[in-house]
Amino acid sequence: MDVQQAAEDLRRRTLSEIPRSLDRLIYLASMRDYNTGLYYHDGLASRFSQEVACEALADCHREAFRDLVGRPLRDLVSQMEGYMDSTHTSPGEFLTAWKKLEPYRVAVPVETDPLSAEFLFSSFKIALAILEARLRPAPVAQVA
Amino acid sequence: MIQLILILAFGVLCLSSLYFLARRSPRAEGGSGPLVEARQAVLALRSGLLPPDLVARIFAREDLEYVQSEVPDNVRALFIDERKKIALSWVNQVRRQILCLRRFYLGSARSYARLSFKTEVELALDFAALLFACRAVLYIRGPFAVPGMVETTAAAATRVCNVYEKSLAFLTPAQLGTLADRSAGPARP
Repeated sequence: MDVQQAAEDLRRRTLSEIPRSLDRLIYLASMRDYNTGLYYHDGLASRFSQEVACEALADCHREAFRDLVGRPLRDLVSQMEGYMDSTHTSPGEFLTAWKKLEPYRVAVPVETDPLSAEFLFSSFKIALAILEARLRPAPVAQVA
Repeated sequence: MIQLILILAFGVLCLSSLYFLARRSPRAEGGSGPLVEARQAVLALRSGLLPPDLVARIFAREDLEYVQSEVPDNVRALFIDERKKIALSWVNQVRRQILCLRRFYLGSARSYARLSFKTEVELALDFAALLFACRAVLYIRGPFAVPGMVETTAAAATRVCNVYEKSLAFLTPAQLGTLADRSAGPARP
């Protein structure tokens, strides 16, 4: 029950301010310690407890992941474009970094089923290619 | 001469028996490993491979239409290639999990899960249909060409999974413990 309350608190106070599920996924993944797999959020832990906060963050992380996996490709491209704009880096740099580093691979919750993760990674790859094609449109043959 | 042939034939027979005994999977001998694997296979099928939402998402024509209408040719090729990889991965994973369940049923659980002959035949036919559909999806048409084939495969896999799951319903935690103990041999003092 506490975990549900904490998750609701997190949704109301923090996640409601993050409209895109891609941003939520990345935000929640950043709350996780990669050495232990545990999530930390000082505010939530002070209102509930460290264990409850950790569970609530994990629940919301899974929720964001499921939401993103269920999105059509068009929506994923739009979310990625929005996220790219919000980072204030140049689109070229952003796309190069994401294609090389594939940071989305570390953003999935633990115990995600492999097929869903594989599918999301593949969709990210396609979305990046679509954004890159928009950025560098194919050269049009010039009429003499 | 006849004696030599008989001795050689006997020798070949013995060697073949030894070969087949050696090739027998240790899973067929029981133990808690196959039980855990079977339960994991059911879980993987139920939660990761057969949920209709995920299957529909992977093979969504909506994505194909979007790519066909708004995306350059080279990215369209990437999309088809990526979706094909995912489709193949899906088919292979479903097949692997169903084979795991079947292996468990034939090796360890048959004597406990008393299915009627009719059910066993139906199960085998369902499984054959699934394999046929899997191979058809894999080799013939690709993920978007025959959407009905994907639904057929998922439906056949679900049917097979349901029957195996029902046949394994005897695996209550208590019985699971008994089976595991039995396979582990006599308790040490």
